[in-house]
Amino acid sequence: MKTAQLVQTSLEFLTDRFPIEKMNVNSLVRTKEVPVHRMSWAYYLGGLALFLFLVQLVTGLMLMFYYEPTVSDAHASVERITEHIGGGALVRNLHTWSASAMIFAVVVHMLTAFAMKAFAKPREITWVSGVLLLLITFAFGFTGYLLPWHQIAVNATKVGLQSIEEAGAYLPGAMSAWPGALKELIQGEASVGQATLSRFYAIHVMVLPLAFFGVLSLHLLSVQLHGMSQGVDRPTGRTERFFPFFILKDAWLWGVVFLVLFVVALCLPFEAFFSYPLFEAYDAMGSTPDGIKPEWYFYFIYYPLELLPFWVIMLAQNAAIAVLLAAPWIFRKTSRRALGVITVAVATYLVVMTVFGQQIYEMFKGGA
Amino acid sequence: MLDAFLFLGLPYLALVSLVAGSIWRYRRNRFSYSALSSQFLERKQLRWGSLPWHVGLLVVFIGHLVPFVAPGLWQSLVANRGFLLAVETAGVAAALLALGGLTVLAVRRVFSGPLQRITTTMDLIIVGLLIVQVILGLGVALHHRWGAQWSGRTLGPYLWSVVTLRPEAEWVAAMPPLVKLHVAGAFAIFALLPFSRLVHAFSLPVEYLWRAPQKVVWNNPRRWRMRPAAVRQVEESRRYFLRGAGALAGAGVLLGAGVTDKLVRYFRGPEMSQEQEVALLRKKLERLEMTAEERELELERKRQAIIHVAALAELNRTEGKYFIDYQMRPALAFKDADGLPLLISAKCTHLGCTVASQVDPQGRILCPCHISYFDIATGKPNAGSPAKAPLPHIGWVLMDGAGELIARRAPGGSVEGTPTSQQLEGAQVYIAREYAGGSEA
Repeated sequence: MKTAQLVQTSLEFLTDRFPIEKMNVNSLVRTKEVPVHRMSWAYYLGGLALFLFLVQLVTGLMLMFYYEPTVSDAHASVERITEHIGGGALVRNLHTWSASAMIFAVVVHMLTAFAMKAFAKPREITWVSGVLLLLITFAFGFTGYLLPWHQIAVNATKVGLQSIEEAGAYLPGAMSAWPGALKELIQGEASVGQATLSRFYAIHVMVLPLAFFGVLSLHLLSVQLHGMSQGVDRPTGRTERFFPFFILKDAWLWGVVFLVLFVVALCLPFEAFFSYPLFEAYDAMGSTPDGIKPEWYFYFIYYPLELLPFWVIMLAQNAAIAVLLAAPWIFRKTSRRALGVITVAVATYLVVMTVFGQQIYEMFKGGA
Repeated sequence: MLDAFLFLGLPYLALVSLVAGSIWRYRRNRFSYSALSSQFLERKQLRWGSLPWHVGLLVVFIGHLVPFVAPGLWQSLVANRGFLLAVETAGVAAALLALGGLTVLAVRRVFSGPLQRITTTMDLIIVGLLIVQVILGLGVALHHRWGAQWSGRTLGPYLWSVVTLRPEAEWVAAMPPLVKLHVAGAFAIFALLPFSRLVHAFSLPVEYLWRAPQKVVWNNPRRWRMRPAAVRQVEESRRYFLRGAGALAGAGVLLGAGVTDKLVRYFRGPEMSQEQEVALLRKKLERLEMTAEERELELERKRQAIIHVAALAELNRTEGKYFIDYQMRPALAFKDADGLPLLISAKCTHLGCTVASQVDPQGRILCPCHISYFDIATGKPNAGSPAKAPLPHIGWVLMDGAGELIARRAPGGSVEGTPTSQQLEGAQVYIAREYAGGSEA
């Protein structure tokens, strides 16, 4: 392809995805219509994820007022927030519960968008930016988990980072040292310590939010430019106005979700489901306590990692990310029915692994 | 004797009556399988009676059902102070709501003229029984506090024993009379259920929840003429709007007050007593000291060619002593069968957890994260364990009290020097930097 032609095609691609003539309030907000059909509920998930992100932003900022990111003080400062600061336990519980809720909303959002073929032309950019947001959200979860610096946090982070190094065994020659070097680059020193905490803190409170804002604005801009996707094969023809009706319903849902989150955060510490010693301060000299696990939203990759050879997981994971990013082009000609079947299969896998992961693990590895 | 009747006989009597009575009534007169509506005869009081009663009852009913169906989950939930408080408060509030509604319903049944014509004796008995039952429940909640917690380990098992046809009345035998009456009252209500208006619980029109709303209009020609539809609609919508706006404003004020209170308290900082502050400061100081210790270890490893691990006499074969190697990783020191030290890395080769220090009878140490056993003599993991690579041994240097070299061993190498048993007595174990590079594998 000649250079001129290449420039021409890319320009066409971009003008199709970012139509200048639509960049005004009138077409972004006032005239936008939302299709009404039996899958319409899925249109609320993205807004819900956005709302939960805002909750994370506010509660996270509030926690930053008292949190101290040093290995000697981190645990004590978190304890001080939960036990001694008025409303501190509430803010912290809100932050953890809403983190879980956000992961849930984001994953369901992705599944429904996939099933509804919301990535079809001209919405490729919406989809790819959405996948990036999903990855960033998981990165938020992984980095945030370490910050309280208790036993389960530090040890789970060690396990997670160590799995990067494992990849080295499958690479030839000098390359086998690269994953190890990458791991040390991420954790900043030979083992998880102050450098890791500082890096994770910086990543969690600055790098990821900035990245999130950037990708999010792209995502939202393209959502508003192209409107909601049709979603079903045979549209009902009915629509409702985005402003003010859809937005009001959005706000109504946010209110209900926040009320539920608030009540749960008020009554139930997130840690209520774990045994106590896991939440003691991390002790570098002692042995690792039983029951080290990542957060529940990593179970779908954690349990297979325990059961299968490492290279299988590594391959599957990279393949999955690649397929997700390239979905608009891979599934360009796939029917919604087929996409729906794939989605149900994936959702079943996620639910089964998350809920019954431990039982499946014991079934195969019970004797050992 | 009375206990046996109330808690062994009555439940099954109620069960039989419930099943057989329901079938009998359904077959005999199908259209009576509901509650006779009285809305046409009296509306104003009904609204203030029926709605609170049903809402309160529903909340209380769920509060009774969940602990029964999922006792494990419930117990783990109520173990939290906040949750227990919330549940108890909500329960009492709902019971008060139900009681208020029920009282209105009872008063209405008795004093409203038109209603007398459709009120049966059974209606009066049921409303009386329900009032007594709710009062008993409230009494239990207020007098024997934290029922959400204790009932799970007493009444729950009793009910399950009844349901599984192996009734054990001992669970309730020692209960206070209030509780016993509340339980027996429940059975009595269940026994009467098929013969009263309560059967409408089984003919609940659940599909109303999602079908399109329908409005029954009383077709009164006179009213119709007097107020044109358009006027009525405007009036109605204005009323709804004002009511909605008022409710929103009220909710907004409440929310604002709550949020402001929390925010002010949050940003004002900790509220701690003297002792709490002392305890927190002490804890922080301890952690700082621990961190300082670690920093010292690191510095020592940067500057010293050899580092002291332990006196040889301190080591044994059954439990290792943790120390930190040159790479700042955990390691364990044992005494080998030949009386010389045995130093092995304690960083699991699987995913880097710290291996436990206890040696089992087969001479192995365990990594608790994913259950790998490592033989301390060879470092090799057991067959089938998640860890594949052996734990590397660490080279050591043995010196006597005067700092004279007695023996040493490079990782993977053999022992250099033949110490006498007398020399070994006061010997000290060291790790050396020259051996640190080799154990990197």
